[in-house]
This record gives sequence, structure tokens and C-alpha cells, in this order.
Amino acid sequence: MVSLQQVRKTYPAPVRGQDPLLAVDTIDLTLADGQFCSLVGPSGCGKTTILNLVGGFEQPSAGRIAASGRSVIGPGPDRAVVFQEAALLPWMTVEANLAFALTLRGGRPAANTERIAQMMEVMGLTGFERHYPYHLSGGMQQRVAIGRALLTNPEVLLMDEPFGALDAQTRSDLQRFLLELWSRLNPTVLFVTHDVEEAILLADRVVVMSPRPGRIVDDIAVNLPRPRTWDAVLNREFGELRRQVLDALRPSDSRARRLS
Amino acid sequence: MGHSWKNRPGPAAEMADVAAAQGLWERTRPGYRQLVPWMVAVTLVLVWAGVAASGIFPKIYVPSPLRVVRDGATLATSGFAGVTLLTDVLASVGRISAGFIAAILVGVPIGFWMATSDIVFAAIDPMLQFLRPIPPLAYIPIMIIWFGIGELSKVILIFFCTIPIIIISAMSGVRGTQETRLRVARCFGATRWQVFRHVILPSALPEIFTGMRVAIGVAWTCLVAAEMIASQSGLGAMIHTAGNEIRTGVVFVGIIFIGLIGYTMELVIRLIEKRVIPWKGKA
Repeated sequence: MVSLQQVRKTYPAPVRGQDPLLAVDTIDLTLADGQFCSLVGPSGCGKTTILNLVGGFEQPSAGRIAASGRSVIGPGPDRAVVFQEAALLPWMTVEANLAFALTLRGGRPAANTERIAQMMEVMGLTGFERHYPYHLSGGMQQRVAIGRALLTNPEVLLMDEPFGALDAQTRSDLQRFLLELWSRLNPTVLFVTHDVEEAILLADRVVVMSPRPGRIVDDIAVNLPRPRTWDAVLNREFGELRRQVLDALRPSDSRARRLS
Repeated sequence: MGHSWKNRPGPAAEMADVAAAQGLWERTRPGYRQLVPWMVAVTLVLVWAGVAASGIFPKIYVPSPLRVVRDGATLATSGFAGVTLLTDVLASVGRISAGFIAAILVGVPIGFWMATSDIVFAAIDPMLQFLRPIPPLAYIPIMIIWFGIGELSKVILIFFCTIPIIIISAMSGVRGTQETRLRVARCFGATRWQVFRHVILPSALPEIFTGMRVAIGVAWTCLVAAEMIASQSGLGAMIHTAGNEIRTGVVFVGIIFIGLIGYTMELVIRLIEKRVIPWKGKA
């Protein structure tokens, strides 16, 4: 479970004499165990700030954050993170990158070789064990990053626009991979994206944020049947959800439309 | 250093590489590029031989290539002023190696320390920036007064003229570590030592190697100058003595050997670089 209670985050003013910058304001958000939650909002609305707060990379200015039953005070192995760039270590082979978390926890006992091989296979990386990250395409690099995050079965998976830099085909491949892994390992996922379609397609619920200072303006349940495939987007229900999310994203637009 | 731009990351460099790989010359004459340096060298020697043979300048100013080769052979076998070429080369290379390795062993940790601690940075940086613009040659008289004209003064001079470069490259290498890579390590629960060992150190290596390549060139400049002023052995001393006796051929041999050894050292560093950081410029 992940919970944010009355969380605010301010940054020091960029220019002296100005007011401090309020990035996110009074966020209350609770994710049930194993829930897949998408977080959408206009750019600069503080989506990434929320992710960094849950990840423990930044401290909230007010409020409380808890994950896996503990207060968040810093980064921890219970919460794995995947960024927009794969952030692999170029001096390690693909296999070593995948097993990085295990290496940090004291060697790689033989007991884990099977687990690593299995993850390599699930991620479609078999045969690339001895390759280096720069031999791989962007999509494959991101697959390594996702496998690396999930190898140790974290309770929470935080993803910051992980497919934002990929082409449409690769992106849809990776969405499929992610859903498959999620249904197997069932971590709680907080998925930041600016792509409304992606947000709905993947998640159990879509949380919509306002422009800065970021506040939650809508929280939409997605009850589309699983397993989902890409053609779910053609569904009428999907279209309705999309309209709902877009409405929440552009309140001024929708008001204008209603008035006319 | 001529190739270093190629190693820089970024789409521009990649595109340049692709362009080179697809270039017309590359495809039609694959061996051509390897020949170019040799052709340039041969042309230069021919021009030199032509100028020497033309008699425009007295032989004492411009010895012919053949004369220089003969002088080189004499130097190698019976030596000059009682010292053989090999002894001079070994003396110079030994001093460079000692000073340079000492500068790396001391400079890299200092650079790392400065990058990770504001207080250490505040303590060392002003001193470093004050010392850096002073030409190392200005230290030579002090070195001779303090440490005499023996080995120690040269080794210490090399140490002082290369260490600022090493410190700065190590420091900026650490600072250039990608934030997301650090975060990945921290979110997997890496200890401070593990973050350093698995992320920061490898991230800093490419810059340290670039620093080493710059430093080795500076080291030769300083060393030869020091040997010319106060030394009984070494290539600088050989050139100096030969110059006083107007043995131009010997001076040429000395200059050519300084260039060749400097080039060899650069190649050795490049080779080590390829082994240690094959990912350089690719990620």
C-alpha cells in the first residue's frame, strides 16, 4: 500500500525575494496493494515531484508518505523506480545490469541464476546476456530497466514516463510486457504519463492533476476487463473514459464547450 | 588528441561516425585511410631531404635525413658525450613515469574528495586555481635550489605540473555522474561505498583518461625544459649539449625521439582506455 496524506512540496524561490514555489498542494492519495494507478496532468504539474517523494529522493514540505507499511524517509528496495531514460550502467553487461539489485545485496548466489535467466526470457532478452547496453535499441534498454526493477519483487513500482521516448510500435510492445509482468508479480504501480490513452489502457484508476500548483482534480476508476489488448481503445467505454480524463485535464475548455 | 572529438557522446558525433562509415572513400578503398599518415610522413621526409640537398642552407643548419639517421645510429651504439641514446631515453621516461604515476595516485583521490565535499573543495580549489596559471617552468629554479639537480627535482616538477590536470579531470568526472544512475543505485539500497564503486568511479573514468592524455603531453614539455637547464642525462640534456656544440644532427635525433615517445605514450593510454572503458562516448 502507498499512501500520501496532506502532502505539500515547496521549492525555494528561483529568484531571491520571490515567493517559494509551491509544486504540489495537499495531495491525498491511497493506492491499494497491487493496484495500478496512472497519474496524468499537464507538464510541470508536479507528477514527477510526487513520484520522487514516494521514491524517497525528495522530502515533503508537509504531510506524511507511507509505503509498504512504513513511513518513507529515503529510497528503499521496497520501491523500485523506472525512469524515462533506461539509466543502465554502460560498464556492465545486460545480465549484470538486470541483476544489479542482487549484486548490491551481496553477491549473486547460484540460487539466483535461474531467476535471472527467467527474467531475461520474460523480457525477451535471452541471447543478449553478454551484450552491453549500448548494443541495444532504446526499447530493449528500457526492457532491461523494467526487468532490473522487478527482479527483486518490489512491493511498489514507480514509473516516470517510462515509454515517453519510444516510438509507437515499441511503446505498445512494452505496454504489453509491463501488463504481463504486473499480472504475474502484482506490485503496486504508480505510473506517471502525459499520454491519456496509455494511462487508461494500463491502469485500474487514473488520477488527474491540475496545472501547478498540482492538486488532484479527478480520480477515475477504470473497470475495463483484463487482460487488455491494444484494441481496448476502440471500445465505447474507453472513449467515455478518455472524454472524462480530458475533461478533467482541460476544465476551461469543457466549460467553454458547455456554455456554447 | 586529434581523435578525441570522436569520443565525445552525442548525436552529432554519432552522425559523424555514420557519415564516415558510409563515406565514398571508405567503401571503395578500405585500406586507404591507414595509408594516409605514412604518406604524409614520407612526403615530409622527402621535402626535408630535398631542402637539405638543395644547398640553400648550410649543412650545419639543416642536416640531411640520412645524416640524422647516421647520427642516431652512432648515438645508439657509442653514444654522445659518453652517454648512449638508450640511457638518455630511459632516464627521461623513468622521470616522467615516476612523476606522472605519483600525480595520478595522489590527484585522483583528491579530485574525488573535492567533488564529494564542499569543505574540501573550498579548501583546495583556491590553491589549485592560484597554482594552475603559473607556468611549471617557473618552478624550475626553486626545484633546483630545494632538491638539487638530481632525479628528485625533475620527478617533483612533473608531479606538480600534471597534478592540477588530474585533480580537475577526476573532480569533473565525478560531478558528471548521471543523477538517474545514482538514483537507481540508491533505490536498490546501495551503500555509499557501493554507489561509489559501481556508479561514480566508472562514470568518472572517461574524464580521468582524457585528463591523463592532456597531462602526459604537459609532462614531456616540463621534463625536457628541466633537463635542458639542469641535468647530466635525459633527452633534454642531450639536446642542450648537442646544441652548444652545434651538432644539429644530434639535436634532430633528440627531437624526433621526444615526439616518438610522446606519441607512443598516447597510444598506450588509448589502448588502456579501450580495454578499461570500451563504453566511452556510447552512453
